[in-house]
Amino acid sequence: MSRSEWSAHGWELIHQDPQPPALHMALDQVLADEVAAGRRAPTLRIWEWASPAVVIGRFQSLRNEVDLDGARRHGIEVVRRISGGGAMFIEPGNTITYSIYAPLGLVEGLSFQESYALMDAWVIEALRELGIEAWYQPLNDIASAAGKIGGAAQMRHAGAVLHHVTMAYDIDAAKMLDVLRIGREKLSDKGTASAAKRVDPLRSQTGLPREAVIQRMIDTFRRLHGLRDGALTPDELARARELAANKFHKQEWTAEVP
Amino acid sequence: MHGEYKMPGGKLVVVDLDVHAGRLCRVQVSGDFFLEPDRALRDINAALEGRSASADEATLAFAIQSALSADVLMYGISPEAIAVAVRRALHEGAQA
Repeated sequence: MSRSEWSAHGWELIHQDPQPPALHMALDQVLADEVAAGRRAPTLRIWEWASPAVVIGRFQSLRNEVDLDGARRHGIEVVRRISGGGAMFIEPGNTITYSIYAPLGLVEGLSFQESYALMDAWVIEALRELGIEAWYQPLNDIASAAGKIGGAAQMRHAGAVLHHVTMAYDIDAAKMLDVLRIGREKLSDKGTASAAKRVDPLRSQTGLPREAVIQRMIDTFRRLHGLRDGALTPDELARARELAANKFHKQEWTAEVP
Repeated sequence: MHGEYKMPGGKLVVVDLDVHAGRLCRVQVSGDFFLEPDRALRDINAALEGRSASADEATLAFAIQSALSADVLMYGISPEAIAVAVRRALHEGAQA
């Protein structure tokens, strides 16, 4: 069996108004389902956040990873996503997050490591055009000489592969440490020294506003793979809202690994 | 009891458990690893439940491996790494 090429798919871009954290979680599930079923073209979705959040990985322990008092004090919602990997601390504008929903054929026969490298290649090219020498660092990081830039999580979901990435644009490190329980061993991994006030690889290394970085990413994807502007369908949005309410807002999901 | 193990070249594996009458109970494996399908986590917890608290790493790893169906994929985690985290939880618990 041979793998399909990126350009064999008609890629669609979704980049809409800010949405709440639980809806983002739900959209990942719904859109992966839609691509798997062949009802939606392969899609690049760029996330805009309506409110702050801690997003924990599918298999992380809620109480081990999150300081719930700290999160409450800062008014930060805690949600669990459908993919594995580590916790991320989100405030609107502090990160750049995107999801790729592709037919499984794109990663057919590839190891996990190979498929992370394949899915990250376009954004590494975009970063290069922005003056950042970055690379995929196994298992699931995007790194530069100055430290970690972002982390990816991938899951194969029925007939689709979901690959989503969060990159640090300008994170308030003190607040992050108030809400995430990050061990000393893990701290170096977050691209920060314990004394750092901000984790801002994209802002400091490009000198550009967040919107300009995102525009470059879109332009690079479009040039490499083709990309037409699209939108969520009313049906997709309705299903995601229902899923947000009935699954991702529920404590039984968020605390499923207590 | 709580144990953690960063698998070399892999992710962090965390185990929380209790011991009752010399047996593991309330075993919860967690971490920032990747595991498909996601229900395999329940199978791993169940495979450890009731095991002797004196079981060695190889025995625990074998119990986990045997409980996993052939379609389970692990990335950044292994039965051996989980077994190390279990032993660490038991060791730290014994010292406390």
